[in-house]
Amino acid sequence: MKELPVIEVLLAGNPNSGKTSLFNELVGANRKVGNFAGVTVEKVEGSVVYKNYLIRFVDLPGTYSLSAYSPEEMVARNYIIGHSADLIIQVLDSTNIERNLLFTTQLMELGKNFIIAFNIYDEMTRKGIKADITQLEKLLGTAVIPTSSRLKTGITELFDKIIEFYEKKLQLSKKFNYPEFIEERIIKLSGIINSDKELSESYSTYWLSVKLLEQDTEVYKLLKERTVWMKVFPYLTEINKEISNYYKEEADLILNENRLAFAKGAFKETVNLSNLKSRNFTDVLDYLLINRITGIPVFLFFMWATFQLVFQLGEYPVNWLQHAFDWLAEGISSSINNEMVKSVVADGIISGVGGVLAFLPNILLLFLALAIMEGTGYMARAAFVIDKVMHTFGLHGKSAISLITGLGCSIPAFMSTRTLKSQRDRLTTMFIIPFMSCGAKLPVYILIIGAFFPAKIAGTVLFAVYMTGILLALLSAKLLKTTLMRGESEPFVMELPPYRLPSPKSLLFQMWNKATMYLKKAATLILLASVLVWLASNFPKSHKIELFYNYEIQQVINNEHLTNQEKTSLIKSLSAKENSLQFQNSIIGRLGKLIEPVIKPLGFDWRIGISLITGFAAKELVVSSMATIYSIGDSDTENNLSLQQKLKNNYPLKTALSLLMFVLIYVPCVAATAMFHKEAGKIKYTAFYFFFTMTLAWLLSFLTYQLL
Amino acid sequence: MKEVQEKENMRLSELKKSDCGVVIGFTALGEVRKRLIDMGLVRGSQFKVIRKAPLGDPIEIKLNGFLLSLRLEEASHILVNLDA
Repeated sequence: MKELPVIEVLLAGNPNSGKTSLFNELVGANRKVGNFAGVTVEKVEGSVVYKNYLIRFVDLPGTYSLSAYSPEEMVARNYIIGHSADLIIQVLDSTNIERNLLFTTQLMELGKNFIIAFNIYDEMTRKGIKADITQLEKLLGTAVIPTSSRLKTGITELFDKIIEFYEKKLQLSKKFNYPEFIEERIIKLSGIINSDKELSESYSTYWLSVKLLEQDTEVYKLLKERTVWMKVFPYLTEINKEISNYYKEEADLILNENRLAFAKGAFKETVNLSNLKSRNFTDVLDYLLINRITGIPVFLFFMWATFQLVFQLGEYPVNWLQHAFDWLAEGISSSINNEMVKSVVADGIISGVGGVLAFLPNILLLFLALAIMEGTGYMARAAFVIDKVMHTFGLHGKSAISLITGLGCSIPAFMSTRTLKSQRDRLTTMFIIPFMSCGAKLPVYILIIGAFFPAKIAGTVLFAVYMTGILLALLSAKLLKTTLMRGESEPFVMELPPYRLPSPKSLLFQMWNKATMYLKKAATLILLASVLVWLASNFPKSHKIELFYNYEIQQVINNEHLTNQEKTSLIKSLSAKENSLQFQNSIIGRLGKLIEPVIKPLGFDWRIGISLITGFAAKELVVSSMATIYSIGDSDTENNLSLQQKLKNNYPLKTALSLLMFVLIYVPCVAATAMFHKEAGKIKYTAFYFFFTMTLAWLLSFLTYQLL
Repeated sequence: MKEVQEKENMRLSELKKSDCGVVIGFTALGEVRKRLIDMGLVRGSQFKVIRKAPLGDPIEIKLNGFLLSLRLEEASHILVNLDA
């Protein structure tokens, strides 16, 4: 096959300009998902063959300007300024021309080649807005192509324009000029920077000068390391003073006011609003959904609906998957003769893979729900409505959504924190998600509460456990934000985008992106961890115990005084005892006994210790471990008692409460921890997360046990 | 001149629902100011207060044809003139 020439095209623009939908129309299913180097910002790119060219599109995160604060904005900016892409397409929301043109002016001053996708053109026409495209092209000095992802218009025109730029080697010449007073100073400053050959070869020095005037921290850092800074700094200080004396304001504001003036001018000259329809869908919907009275109930309803969708509806595919894997394990083990290999394959590997895939339906559904909320525009409203509560505890309104997801499962909850822009807010939210009781903890609560509390108040106790968790989460957030995570948090300056109906295609693609991310990032780690935990709870096997029980069982079989029914029941009880002893002899069993001194002050014995350790593999295992251990009774009568009765006979109430507290707080399962590690990105964060949850669990259980 | 100075003390956070006004300056430097400027909120920008969140904070304003929400804390750094 002949190698095609490659054209690299960046998609940039404001958030909510329909960038991702347009990207989907451009590349279809030929996409690759990953992370931008060094950050957990999603990178989506796709290649398409068009007229004997291979066109590679990169969908950059949406930004309002080329100033950068969050990791996402940084990525977008670095790509635009540093990367030598062949062409930039600015996706411009034609229903919000004025503000979007602000971004255009920044591309103009950068001096890179760009064209404009005049997007959401169908909605603009419907609204009665008219624009003179030819005049706009003249003012901006580049091609403006009306596009609509919904109607699939303008796509071929975009492709043709890309090719035209490439083949004719077009260079944009139209410049965006500041008033004389500023312009001449910028030019002189860039002249000084120009003497640094290395800088002037990789950046537009005009742009660097503008950014220096705007006090851009990153550009400052870049320049400070160069020797040319010695010449730049005195002049910069001088012109900064001159400009603020002349205009009575700082340069950054003056520069943007000039950009906006240009944008306003271009807008006035080309756009005709005389036919604008006055009825506004967004205003009406906002009036209904986020007013004083309905705001909070509607928010709670949408959160409840999301939760139902993800975990109730998700339960069906999860169950099917589990059945499928059980069936597979059974099928495979019947075809393997070697006991050892059989056990490793069936119980270790297949159940490990099953464990990884079991979360997939929930993750798909959660990200479908999030994509719908984001795509329709409700997400920003949800943050708007609940921000006051979250802000009281030092968090951002958007954290609420991750926390609520945590009530289902921590894994998708950790992944959903990506919507938070500030790294501090994101980490804080991730640290407190474990306190939101996940679905797997429920069986443990039910077991303990059912054993120690009368049915009448069981519901209330359960509610109290959940509430304690939520309260702990919020208080911990406050604590973290005032200590370790201190610092200016993300300012809440957020656009409430117009309500729109997201295209099914774009929803499906986003869902698919997340699923690929999950499988790529977490799958191997979760699989490995599950297999290790399985090994630790099955090995080493004691030959002595095996021999002893084989002998005992043989005795029962040979005993002629027993009926067949009695034999079956005796054998069952004997093998249960064998399992229990083997379990206690395994690495996890021994570990449980080893830690007894540490957990004794909490009112726990080694049996609880073992169960809690297996809870690290998966929380619901706490229940089955207890069942295994307690299948050894002190007498035959006790053997017939239910697990709950045994627990009640063995432990006082304060141990039960202490245990509830511990299960509520201690570190989530190994799969969730693996996900945390992948999302947080640094071992020190994972270490802290482990230490934080374990210490708090120990302390609060200790207090519960000792004070009662 | 005196009248202007009196008005300068008015902050966006003090406005009520349905109030219209124009931005005349900022009292803060740093990220909040940068973000506001980036979103197109500069001196001379006209806006209307649309609503407050159900719990009283943040507020929502309409400007240049789009909706922007910001906390009262952020809004208190924006100096405004109230339109009659």
